[in-house]
Amino acid sequence: MSQPGQSNESVIEVRNLTKVYRDFWGRPKVRALNALSLDIKKGEVFGLLGPNGSGKTTTLKLLLGLLFPTEGDITILGKPAADVSKNERIGYLPEESYLYRFLNAHETLDFYGRLFKMPASVRKERAEKLLDMVKLAPQARRRQLKEYSKGMTRRIGVAQALINDPDLVMLDEPTSGLDPLGNRDMKDLILDLKKQGKTVLMCSHLLADVQDVCDRIAILYGGELKVMGRVDELLKAQDETQILSSKLSPEAIRDIEAVIKKHGANVLKVDQPTANLEDLFLKTVQESRERPGHRLVQEGKSGA
Amino acid sequence: MSFDPHPLLIWFQKLPNGGYLLGAIPVWFIIAGGLALLVLSVSAVSVFVTHRGAGGKLFLRELSGCISDVLSLSPRRIGALAKLTFLEAYRRKALAVFVVFALLFMFAGWFMGDSKEITNDQVKVYISFVLRAISWLVLPVVLVLSCFGIPEDIRLRSLHTVVTKPARRLEIVLGRVIGFSLIGTVVLLVMSSVGYIWIVRQIPKTAKDQGLLSCRVPVYGSLTFLDRAGTPADKGINTGDLWEFRSYIEGATAARAIWTFKNMDASALDSEGNLHLENQFTAFRSYKGDMKRQLLFDFKFINPEKPIAPNQPLTFTTDARQVNEFRGVTDKINRKLGREGDEKTYDLIDDFVMKDGSLIVEVSCIDREQYLGMARPDLFVRRPDQPFYIGYAKAVLGIELLLILVTIMSVTASTFLKGPIAAVLTSCLLMLGGEDSHNFMDELVFGKFKGGGFLESIYRIITHMNPTTDLPDNPAFVGMRFFDAGLTNFLWLCKQVIPRLQYFNMSDYVSNGFDVPWDASVVPSILVTLGYLVPCVLLGYFALRIRELESK
Repeated sequence: MSQPGQSNESVIEVRNLTKVYRDFWGRPKVRALNALSLDIKKGEVFGLLGPNGSGKTTTLKLLLGLLFPTEGDITILGKPAADVSKNERIGYLPEESYLYRFLNAHETLDFYGRLFKMPASVRKERAEKLLDMVKLAPQARRRQLKEYSKGMTRRIGVAQALINDPDLVMLDEPTSGLDPLGNRDMKDLILDLKKQGKTVLMCSHLLADVQDVCDRIAILYGGELKVMGRVDELLKAQDETQILSSKLSPEAIRDIEAVIKKHGANVLKVDQPTANLEDLFLKTVQESRERPGHRLVQEGKSGA
Repeated sequence: MSFDPHPLLIWFQKLPNGGYLLGAIPVWFIIAGGLALLVLSVSAVSVFVTHRGAGGKLFLRELSGCISDVLSLSPRRIGALAKLTFLEAYRRKALAVFVVFALLFMFAGWFMGDSKEITNDQVKVYISFVLRAISWLVLPVVLVLSCFGIPEDIRLRSLHTVVTKPARRLEIVLGRVIGFSLIGTVVLLVMSSVGYIWIVRQIPKTAKDQGLLSCRVPVYGSLTFLDRAGTPADKGINTGDLWEFRSYIEGATAARAIWTFKNMDASALDSEGNLHLENQFTAFRSYKGDMKRQLLFDFKFINPEKPIAPNQPLTFTTDARQVNEFRGVTDKINRKLGREGDEKTYDLIDDFVMKDGSLIVEVSCIDREQYLGMARPDLFVRRPDQPFYIGYAKAVLGIELLLILVTIMSVTASTFLKGPIAAVLTSCLLMLGGEDSHNFMDELVFGKFKGGGFLESIYRIITHMNPTTDLPDNPAFVGMRFFDAGLTNFLWLCKQVIPRLQYFNMSDYVSNGFDVPWDASVVPSILVTLGYLVPCVLLGYFALRIRELESK
């Protein structure tokens, strides 16, 4: 069933995809991917999950034509993976930002822009817009990338992936190496891309990130597809019900427990909800910016 | 003169290496086409072996992909990749080579003689030094840069961000070739400009006024002989010295050396109407005499199209010339030919240049104690000189063309080899491309060595068999000869893919005070470069296309 903003049109179709790495003599060494089949629909954010060595990055590189499949077929945007013209509509952010370290931010985006059919004025305008979007400080834009921190390199990597305003964005470990602020920016960016109707395929082993942004996920293990489906459906506990209210008195809690028992159900847990660490971190940083010098949290006592 | 330039671009004319230009074109197609067919066959077989039933479809899809890539080349993308390559080399301090260059020129004057007493040989040394220093500095830098460019891109995976854009592999190869050639060109232009200024400043005005910094434009003719009885002959007399290059005419006999110069007209004369005939003959003396005596000879102009009597062409013989041996001498002969006391005069151009533009000059030795040694380049018409910078610029163009060829070969090698191996391969090809290496390979391929091929020579060594003894005629030896013939053919193919680099060295012309001839050196160098550009770039493209860039 498609969600709002999504369609049934397949952007990526993978059928029986297998990749076997061979040694110098052509003998099979590792079966990195085994008979993977999946469809990724237009407008959805799809997550490929799995532990290290499960075949996530191999899948991505097969889709991009960096590796050749041993068996199986790949169709991306209606074209075979080996067809270079498909890249006109694809943006790719590699796991590490493998960019040219001797270029500065402007030169990097201009170079990648020239690989597309983009006139100089459009390239310049789009580069500025993207550098603003990824929040790269103006004073850093004229420095060579070899002087950048990992987070800054990641930001310029994202900008180059979006230089052609792609319909399909492939992100390999998009949040790796980012601090929580950068992490949140990246997730906001992915959700923003989704809002623009773009399809996003991301690989990650950071489960919380995937849960926050993905519509559907596939979990790979040992090169095989183990689970695939909508995130909310896969995570939904079918035999439990959760009710969230403002803070209740102990008497009110007892009354509610009595009502639940009257209907033949058991109360499993009564607790106060806690924020996650990311939310706390972001809130702390934001308030620190607004009130410099003020200590927000003391041990054992919330000052916020 | 140590060289004898033969024009290449004369249709059907035999070249010094034994080939013909018209023959070279089909050979190029045979070699390039044969290699392409070999690559396609190997690819097809490997695809069918690895993919069995689906192999045919896959092969056709890849083939159509290759054709599509070639047809959809984008100059903008190639330009972007070339600019990237240029910036990469520039920011990785490739221009540090200028420091070495500057050091060389700061101290070179210390070791190159006193500039107050400059001679022709010293001018030659200055020019050779500058052009060789530039070649030896620029070429290794470009070779190393271009051999390591693509392998480093693959190792650091920066190429991933390029190939996942609409950049074709062919564009990547072309962009690299153009980028590295550009950086080499910039370095070359700066160095050659500095070198030119250095040469001009090192040579004093007095030496320049003597014409030591010249750029002579020679017109070489063809040479035939008459023997001492006046009978036509291909060569003169063998005095046992340098027979292959130079032969001799005997003094005070009917022996003659006859040069025929083509394309002669009034433009060959200087502003005063003089024809400059430059000669550098040698002498062999028949018996004891004055070794210091000068050479004695005369010139005779002949026009068979204007007979003055049956079987008697129009002729004019100049006064006897007396010149020193081993020194180039320029004779100025005015177009108004005449003798004192003789009212009859001739016009050199109107009366002696034939309808097809040929001018026949006959040389005879007058001294009966001398034999005059002649070779084709020992007499030439010297057209008005060009400024020195013209010849110098052509020599620099020769280095530039070699630089482009080195870049093409290095980038191609780097698409399927790691950087250091690609550098070794390209260096080997450059070493094998020399004239001596090609001559040696010719001797091997055309069976000029006695003793047979690989297996046959081993057999002869082991059995102590004389190389002139025939081998027994049984199936084992027939098989051995068949194997040797196959190996020889393979060696022939290898020889064809090694570039012939002799044309690219134009510094000898300039350092000897000559202009660089377009037809004997510049055009052949351009043709060789173009001849390698297309197949090498396609090979590099194919190697990148079939390669999994992610694989280690």
